[in-house]
Amino acid sequence: MKRKKPYTLLNKVEPYLWILPSIILMAIFIIVPIGFVFRMAFSQVTKAGLVKGFCGFDNFSKVLKSAKFGLVLKNTIIWTILVVGLSTVLGFILALLLNNEFKGRKIARAIVVFPWATTLVIQASVWKFIIDTDYGALNTLLKTLGIIERNVNWTPAPEAFFAWEIACGIFVTIPFVCFTALSGLQSIDASYYEAATVDGANYWQKLGHITLPLVKPSLTVATVLNIIYVFNSFPIVWTITKGDPASRTDTLVTYLYKLAFYNGKQGEAAAVSVIGFLILLVCASIYMVSTLKKGDE
Amino acid sequence: MKKLIAMLLVLTMVLALAACGGSKTAETQAPAAEAPAETQAPAASAADGEKVTVTMIAAQYGPKTGDWWTEFEKKFEAANDGIDLVVDCVSWNDIYTVVNTRIANGQAPDLLNIDVFADFQADGLLLPAEEWCSAETYAKFYQAFLDQSEIDGTIWAVPDLASARAMYYNKDILDAAGVEVPTTWEELTAACEAIQAYDPDIYPWGIDMTTDEGQAAFAYYTWGNGGGFVDDNDEWALNSAENVAAVEYAVGLVKAGLTNSDPATNTRYDLQDLFCAGKLAMMIAPNALSSQAGEAGVNYGFAAIPNNSGTSVSAGVMDRIMCFDNGQTAEQMAAITAVVDAFYDDEPYAEWVLMEGFLPATSAGGEACAAADPAMGAWIDIVGSAKFYPTAKAEWADVKQGVIDVEQQALLGGNVQELLDALQAEIAG
Repeated sequence: MKRKKPYTLLNKVEPYLWILPSIILMAIFIIVPIGFVFRMAFSQVTKAGLVKGFCGFDNFSKVLKSAKFGLVLKNTIIWTILVVGLSTVLGFILALLLNNEFKGRKIARAIVVFPWATTLVIQASVWKFIIDTDYGALNTLLKTLGIIERNVNWTPAPEAFFAWEIACGIFVTIPFVCFTALSGLQSIDASYYEAATVDGANYWQKLGHITLPLVKPSLTVATVLNIIYVFNSFPIVWTITKGDPASRTDTLVTYLYKLAFYNGKQGEAAAVSVIGFLILLVCASIYMVSTLKKGDE
Repeated sequence: MKKLIAMLLVLTMVLALAACGGSKTAETQAPAAEAPAETQAPAASAADGEKVTVTMIAAQYGPKTGDWWTEFEKKFEAANDGIDLVVDCVSWNDIYTVVNTRIANGQAPDLLNIDVFADFQADGLLLPAEEWCSAETYAKFYQAFLDQSEIDGTIWAVPDLASARAMYYNKDILDAAGVEVPTTWEELTAACEAIQAYDPDIYPWGIDMTTDEGQAAFAYYTWGNGGGFVDDNDEWALNSAENVAAVEYAVGLVKAGLTNSDPATNTRYDLQDLFCAGKLAMMIAPNALSSQAGEAGVNYGFAAIPNNSGTSVSAGVMDRIMCFDNGQTAEQMAAITAVVDAFYDDEPYAEWVLMEGFLPATSAGGEACAAADPAMGAWIDIVGSAKFYPTAKAEWADVKQGVIDVEQQALLGGNVQELLDALQAEIAG
């Protein structure tokens, strides 16, 4: 019989020592900045950026009372749900396609990575250029093909601008979902499908009863990460519209940037940031807990 | 034994990380976007040997600004042995973030070149101009420019350059459409309609109501209608009848389809590109458009901004240089004065202003610029009669964003009177 390891102080401390570097890194790069934001949210901050002491919930009440905040929060929710939802569906479908054996599969997979590998600011600038009324590539193409005679304004209303921004967001998010789903798909044992085929299951039955349940953990991780990334995404909206006109395309992040650096209200901007952080914390927790619980069952 | 070695390695790694962490924290607290790390040292403690260090943040006006300042640093240091001048040239996109972060971390520069100053003054961060600007240099500035930086009877910053706005027009388009250069709002509307009838693919009039510079549009039309941001007593008067009519007129031009397609997102730079491509007939722009349009081969002219009150008012924009109170010693103050004197020395100053394509803020600079470029003469007269934004008032940042929001809401169909009433109530209480 193997002897039990003697219980020493070293044994007790050892695991903590191993994870200490990660904890230190997390503390420096995550917890300290979050702490600064919280301190700022509860402080009176001058326009030049000096912290002048504790002011309780003043910044929060100013933000919540402002007429803009409701509109911006609504925009942020629409933006997050549509970008994350649609990119998850489309990314998963693309992963199913790329999981098939076909000629040029490697090249196709490489092409899918491109939108992900390019800087968001460049992506957004390219989209802005495509839809531009006066020089846009879309109008030029349609005119060359003889489909239109005069330039079309593709962004006649704020909603149209927002829709283009969402489309751009989906385009850059698809690769991440696609590759996470693809890694999940490739880990599924082919014998499940063989057994199902023997039992006479059709494609949809295999998709619903084998593929989806087994890919679900990968998609859950991708969705939670995407909710956080997309909710906090700044470059797309900022590059295309800066939240204009009249905050109709602002999300919480562009709104707080304007509050901080255009209006000089850094305390209120920090309060918006804290509100966003709490919303994300709650959403991500609920989603994680519910999906993982179902997985365990 | 192996375990002991592993433990020692872990401990070493932890200590190394902790050591790195210390400096990283300092960096994350001061993410000066484009500022090199060594320039973040506060002036007071940045003695390099026996040299006195002067730190400065300069706004990047154009692609050549950074090189110009590097050259200035070299020449200045060669002429002033005991002074180490460190200039950070920061783009307009980042400068507010960089400056605020450095102030928040107690690392304010000695000298700052930016547009606004009132917020820094309100926090007691600035030194009066006469404490760091020599009498000789101080006497060079146009008094009207100095007055723009006055709070409670003290001048807190000196102007570095200015720009004024005028109406640019494409002579060829106006001739082809058979219209004269408009001087009043009525003539402007008629000219726009004639140009539209001549060629529906040309935008007759350019309007920028974006977050970038929407406050300029507010200034052009309200000043041209006898209104403005403040009344005669320098009190906010945003919802005056003249202002309401002015915004309604500008929005009316957009609604009538006489302007660029989307004034809420087309910036002045977009409009200048359209103008240079011959797709826009008229727009209000600074003198910098002359060289751009000239290079593009546009047959352009410029004239006073059309108005509705009988008096044309040009909108002036002025940037400043200010000095932060970092508890400098007498020696450091002398070094700062030397830097300012060297910058405003007539010849290099005129060269800098001409290179940037702006207008000088000193009379000697004005004469030198006019001698070097005859077209400048007309502009120097325009800037002399220009009105400026009320940037010395503490609420300016809110007013600026507020009027832009009013314009954009009006474009979406909002009631101008109600919007301006609400803004006035918010600002003036």
